Amino acid sequence: MDSNTNVNTSITRRILQSRSAFLGIIIVALSIAASFIFDAFSTMLNLKSFLLNLSCNSIVAIGMMILLISGAFDLSVGSVFGLAGCIAGNLMFYHQANWILSVFIALIVCIGIGALNGTLISKVGVDPLVATLAMMGLVRGFALIIGGTGIIGLPDGFLKIADSKLLHMRIPIWYMIVIIIIFTFLVSKVVFFRKYYYIGVNEKAANLTGINVVKMRIISFMIASGLAAVAGIILTSRLTVALSSSGEGLELRVITACILGGASLSGGKGSVMGAVMGTIFVALINNLMIIAKVGSYWQSVVIGSILLIAVTADAVLNKSRAE
Amino acid sequence: MRTYDIYHTSCYLDADMQKKPYIAFHGITKTFPGVKALDDISFDISAGEVHAIVGENGAGKSTLINVVAGNYHPDSGHLEINGDQVRIRNYAEALDMGISVVYQERSLVPNLSVAENIFADRQPRTLLGFINKKKMCEETEKICESIKLEVQPNTLVGSLIPAKQQMVEIAKALSNESELLILDEPTATITEKETEVLFRVIKELKRRGICVIYISHRLLEILEIADRVTVLKDGKYVGTHNISDVKIGDIVKMMVGRDLYTEKYKPSYEKDIVLKVKGLSSKRFFNINFFLKKGEILGFAGLAGSGRTEVARGIIGADSINNGEIYLFNKLVDIKNPEVAIGYGIGYLPEDRKEQGLFLNMAVSNNIVSGSLQIVSKRHIIKEKEITIIANKLKERLNIVCPNVMTRVEQLSGGNQQKVVFAKWLLVDPKILIVDEPTRGVDVGTKSEIYKIIRELSSSGTSIIIISSDLPEILSICDRIYVMHNKRITGELTRNEATEEKIMHYASGIN
Amino acid sequence: MGKFFILNNLQVKSTVKKLLQNRVLFLLLLIFIIFLFAGIAYDTFVTENNIKTVISNMSIDAIVTIGMMILLISGVFDLSVGSVLGFSAAINAVLIERAGFNPVLSIIIAVVSCICIGIFNGVVIAKIGVNHLIVGLAMLGVVRGVVMLIVGAGITRLPDSFLVIADSSFLKWKLPIWYLVIIAAIFSILLRKTVFFRRYYYIGGNEKAAALSGINVVTMRVISYAISAGLAGISGIFLSSRLAAAIPTLGSGLELRAITACILGGASLNGGYGNVLGAVLGTLFMGLINNLMIVSRASISWQRIVISGILLLAVTLDAVIKKSGVD
Repeated sequence: MDSNTNVNTSITRRILQSRSAFLGIIIVALSIAASFIFDAFSTMLNLKSFLLNLSCNSIVAIGMMILLISGAFDLSVGSVFGLAGCIAGNLMFYHQANWILSVFIALIVCIGIGALNGTLISKVGVDPLVATLAMMGLVRGFALIIGGTGIIGLPDGFLKIADSKLLHMRIPIWYMIVIIIIFTFLVSKVVFFRKYYYIGVNEKAANLTGINVVKMRIISFMIASGLAAVAGIILTSRLTVALSSSGEGLELRVITACILGGASLSGGKGSVMGAVMGTIFVALINNLMIIAKVGSYWQSVVIGSILLIAVTADAVLNKSRAE
Repeated sequence: MRTYDIYHTSCYLDADMQKKPYIAFHGITKTFPGVKALDDISFDISAGEVHAIVGENGAGKSTLINVVAGNYHPDSGHLEINGDQVRIRNYAEALDMGISVVYQERSLVPNLSVAENIFADRQPRTLLGFINKKKMCEETEKICESIKLEVQPNTLVGSLIPAKQQMVEIAKALSNESELLILDEPTATITEKETEVLFRVIKELKRRGICVIYISHRLLEILEIADRVTVLKDGKYVGTHNISDVKIGDIVKMMVGRDLYTEKYKPSYEKDIVLKVKGLSSKRFFNINFFLKKGEILGFAGLAGSGRTEVARGIIGADSINNGEIYLFNKLVDIKNPEVAIGYGIGYLPEDRKEQGLFLNMAVSNNIVSGSLQIVSKRHIIKEKEITIIANKLKERLNIVCPNVMTRVEQLSGGNQQKVVFAKWLLVDPKILIVDEPTRGVDVGTKSEIYKIIRELSSSGTSIIIISSDLPEILSICDRIYVMHNKRITGELTRNEATEEKIMHYASGIN
Repeated sequence: MGKFFILNNLQVKSTVKKLLQNRVLFLLLLIFIIFLFAGIAYDTFVTENNIKTVISNMSIDAIVTIGMMILLISGVFDLSVGSVLGFSAAINAVLIERAGFNPVLSIIIAVVSCICIGIFNGVVIAKIGVNHLIVGLAMLGVVRGVVMLIVGAGITRLPDSFLVIADSSFLKWKLPIWYLVIIAAIFSILLRKTVFFRRYYYIGGNEKAAALSGINVVTMRVISYAISAGLAGISGIFLSSRLAAAIPTLGSGLELRAITACILGGASLNGGYGNVLGAVLGTLFMGLINNLMIVSRASISWQRIVISGILLLAVTLDAVIKKSGVD
């Protein structure tokens, strides 16, 4: 839902106003250019590994986007991402637990962390930045303790989560596609998720209009942590090892992707498609830099600069529109 | 017409003060994209004069103030101060010239003390250039003394009640040694007592030769305190008159170009009691007991700060309550939050529509359906077309003026914004609707339309509680009136018994 | 007997409340408790050597925290200070080591370039209007990337003339502590007693009102970002002098530590609150906790958990008190 939409504007205007469409065009343009410039780019191998790497980040980005739409954000998703794998791995390896049970417990714990975040922020009134910052450190600390230096020797059943193929594409890609389809539908069409837009624009008005802001915020944090946990489990299964450092820096990458995808830190803006496009864009840039053999140090410079340019352009355009 | 006995005699102008204009407007024009806010405004104001400026919303009063304060620069025309043409580039320059404005929005900093607020950025300094805290406090005490404001200079402004905060605002403006003081709706949130003090201060300023521009929707007050009144309409200058030469009706006619439409009263309520409140108490109100009948229009009168909004918020669960019971249709209910309240059929239209009632950068249509998403959806899936259709229906019905329902609500005028909020609640269709200051900041024309909406609601069976500080409004449409003073209900009047004097009596806490 | 008990309870509650509200007092109390507890439990803690080391270590962090405190008072923060610190160390090291510049000159160039970064941040945030969280985030990555490009695996073997900065002592205390004392004293006076710096409290409390009072918010913000970056730059010089090297990860994570220290020291993310003493005490507190954990041989993960836990506890308590006051 784009609150900027006005029925009487031309198609070009509409595309520029729809951040996802805009990004989509840039992504396509870049890909076409890249396929001519770099031979290595348009190989099936590259595409498959590209999609694979993308799958986990996009799942987390969707959760973050929902938070951003409601005017919040969560700096602890990266740590939760790592914790999920560590809890599951620890249970499976040190306690010989059944993999289904282990995954289930990991998910429950992470969703619980989300509920805690949501409660602290919306019921107790702690500032989201500080609450999730502190949680980030806490959770990462526990991940380190539970996961140690890494857990290998995970059971086959668990490894199958990410290992199988369907129609020549690895399963994680399918997980991503399914989650994208489900959440795109939910966030754009379902009454429950529409309310997050209202909360993001004016929390007080939403409250007086009968939207249970506290309950909905708690649920949004639970969704974000839950999705981060799911992505963490998938990655752990793919890597066949549970690393306690998994997901370091993920929250910043994901927020970047969402902002590029049209979210605003003040809330009320954004879409699932935007989160996905933003993630694809960032992943594409990373991929291009790897193929072009650009040093990894340049990657953060480039992504950071793109973010800066994008939001500055946004701010300048908004200012000129207002004046 | 009500008069404040204490000073009504000394209110009018001393006719033989030779008036040389202090400030003069010459052909001031200011255009914003799409609207001409000020069109060739020319008039002047003399030193030692209390000059009221009135007009509907959008008439140009705020823009004019901002031009004088240096926040806006006129496209053409110029200002003259004491005969000299001046260009005021920003508010700092205006302050230097002796112009102070007390705005409607709080311009205080809550985390700093009263003294630091009054002397914001102008703190007295020691020889070394450091802030002289002692002197700052002393000066603050002096100023507060002069307006009978009882506060410690070191108190944090954030801990003061709104009425006291407004007085600090005024103290701040006074500390500037102004020659021109502009007051924008100064009595909106202060009590009767403080209004008296304010008027005394204004008269003192007059005596000292200071010019006061007084902007207010409260025409009664203007008749009390002003010497002359200028009417603006749609950005154009209509005329300036001596207060002694005009009556309220004349002023209103100049503002809207038509007579004030007095509502014809039609009693329309049944006998059933839909809402009964017993012994409701919280930190913000005490022992509230009242009842509401089906289809009734019940008024809650009282002065700013008497606790009416707090009672409403307590009933709908937006704030917590300590004691008491609420009975809906004779059933005891526990309302934990607004969601539950709406589930029971009670709606609340807040006092401050921009902050609490509207989703400003969303479309009109999205605002209208915000409380009734289930109506425009089937099995939880939203039908966008339905939203537009329903929004258009309500736009028609309530005569909301906007290019189309996709327009962002922040671009609408105050009156139309208020209609959008009403539209939202009409769609929700609660059994009981509490409306807090339904026509605040709404122009006279839209006021009538809103009264019509309220009447329609009541005749179709909705029970309505109106919280209002506008006595004529309460007297004209309410069936029954409760009056609150200082967080308690002090009186109950039927329509037949009610007069402005009686309501004021209860509202002032006089027994 | 019962009535007396209730009265006492209320008094206790309000004293506790008052204590918590005066953050400086609270921190002093906590620090005192730490000394008490740690002193009894661990012999090595209350030694002169250990305490001096702790204070010496935290003083460099504290300088950055002071800069962050000024930003927080005005209602914003800067997530890039860690990277800027690294940047300053990197530029300085490269100029000395690879380009053979005189240390004094290279220090000046390093700090000035940090100030430029701060000005850039301030302009983008205050004049153009981009959200400060995002700008900080972006610059965190960009500047860190540049640091890594400049420094590669790290520049070591910095000349002795440079090491003097952090290594020498004055009156038996290492120099960095004195630098902190001077900077803290200067900024404390500035923030409490000058009209100019007082403006940050106005801006943080009500930006609109501050503007209406004639305060040029944009200029003030740009200056605050410049100061913060400048202080980070100075700290970078001290730190690399102490380590005798400029490594690529220098300052990583510093921004979050600085924000934590400020919040512990009384700042509010909404702005308008905080002071230099709080910033310093907050940093000291965190330094002591860190040291305590090292002395008690707790693993790194527990250190992280404890600091984060304390932060969470502090802000939760804050929020709960605020809520109970309002209702």
